[in-house]
Amino acid sequence: MAAKRISQSAINWASLAERVPEHQKNIFIAFKAKHDNYLRRVMANPESAPAIDWAFYKAKVPVAGMVDDFQKQYTALNIPYPPDNVSGQIDTLEKEIKSDIAKFKVESSARIEEYKKQLAHLSSLIPFDQMTMEDYRDAYPEQALDPINRPTFWPHGFEDQLENKDWSKEEEHH
Amino acid sequence: MLSRAALLSGQQNRALVALAARTTGTTACNNVAASCDSQVEMTRPVRMEPGKVRMGFIPEEWFNFFYKKTGVTGPYTLGFTLSTYLLSKEIYVLEHEFYSGLSLALMCVVAVKKIGPGLAKYLDKEIDAYETEWNESRVNERQVLEQQIGNEEKMQWSAEGQNMMVQAKRENVALQLEAAYRGRVMTAYQEVKKRLDYQVEIQNIERRIAQRNLIDYVVRRVMSSITPDQDKKNIDKCIADLSSLAKA
Repeated sequence: MAAKRISQSAINWASLAERVPEHQKNIFIAFKAKHDNYLRRVMANPESAPAIDWAFYKAKVPVAGMVDDFQKQYTALNIPYPPDNVSGQIDTLEKEIKSDIAKFKVESSARIEEYKKQLAHLSSLIPFDQMTMEDYRDAYPEQALDPINRPTFWPHGFEDQLENKDWSKEEEHH
Repeated sequence: MLSRAALLSGQQNRALVALAARTTGTTACNNVAASCDSQVEMTRPVRMEPGKVRMGFIPEEWFNFFYKKTGVTGPYTLGFTLSTYLLSKEIYVLEHEFYSGLSLALMCVVAVKKIGPGLAKYLDKEIDAYETEWNESRVNERQVLEQQIGNEEKMQWSAEGQNMMVQAKRENVALQLEAAYRGRVMTAYQEVKKRLDYQVEIQNIERRIAQRNLIDYVVRRVMSSITPDQDKKNIDKCIADLSSLAKA
């Protein structure tokens, strides 16, 4: 596989930072710090080594053939680019992430549909100033007056029903 | 059924037609039940504006009824002449109740004109507050739902950002490889350069030491070869030269 040389970041960090939700901001900051660290290490060395002035050394160094020998060996030196062992892991990770995102989207869309249905129900209700008591029963069945199934005690106020009665204020009737 | 609202919307006619249709043609109605239903169905009545009146109690429709035949002044003329006839023939008797009624009417008119608008505004405000209180729950629920929908969409958008994260991870790997490669290249270069520079430095040092030694040797020899006699002659010559220079 041809080695790809890289010299600067090709990621739009600003737009990526926008997408990070609040509770994952710390993880993102740590990740970015790692990336910056790698970038710094890359920048510490130049892209290719500077050229060695062989003529100068040939003139200076008296040891016979040493410079020639070095020159031959140095130009023949081919430093291998380090092999890429982890891209396979990244590929599987990418597949997982894609399937996760698809699943989440499906669930999320289902929830959005649910909310939209509730919204539609809300907007289908007639405004209160056009309702009769029957219409109120149609719209809010549990809160409407229902003396057969949910009878109330006299005088039918909220505080007079059994669960709301304040027994500490109750007078003793003899 | 006789209300102005129903009359105006013509629902009465439709209802009558539907009634007629139902009593006369039963089979036809059964076959096209849908169309019959749409004829019979009434739209939900909504509160409308009150009917227009003149002078507080006379409906506008009576004036429009007379307009074609007698113009604008027709109904007023009718009212004036009719009331004149009733009064003069004592068909409408002006007795005690009439005068008390008149005073009461006057006071009512004054009260309505003076207090009416203020009271109406106050009552409208109360009704509005009551209505908003009732509507609050609906409005709140709508807001909450819309917010939740917005949240869900934002979550989806955020999740898509994970794809960019994968790109960033790839880039991290590439950066590490690149850093290692550059480090190796530089190491090789520096090692070779170190050795060559070492040789060059050796040469320089040797030359410098040899030079210093030579100078020392030459100076030592010269110093040792100067006899005291020659030394005295040199000094005299120097003094003579100095004095000649001073004179010039």
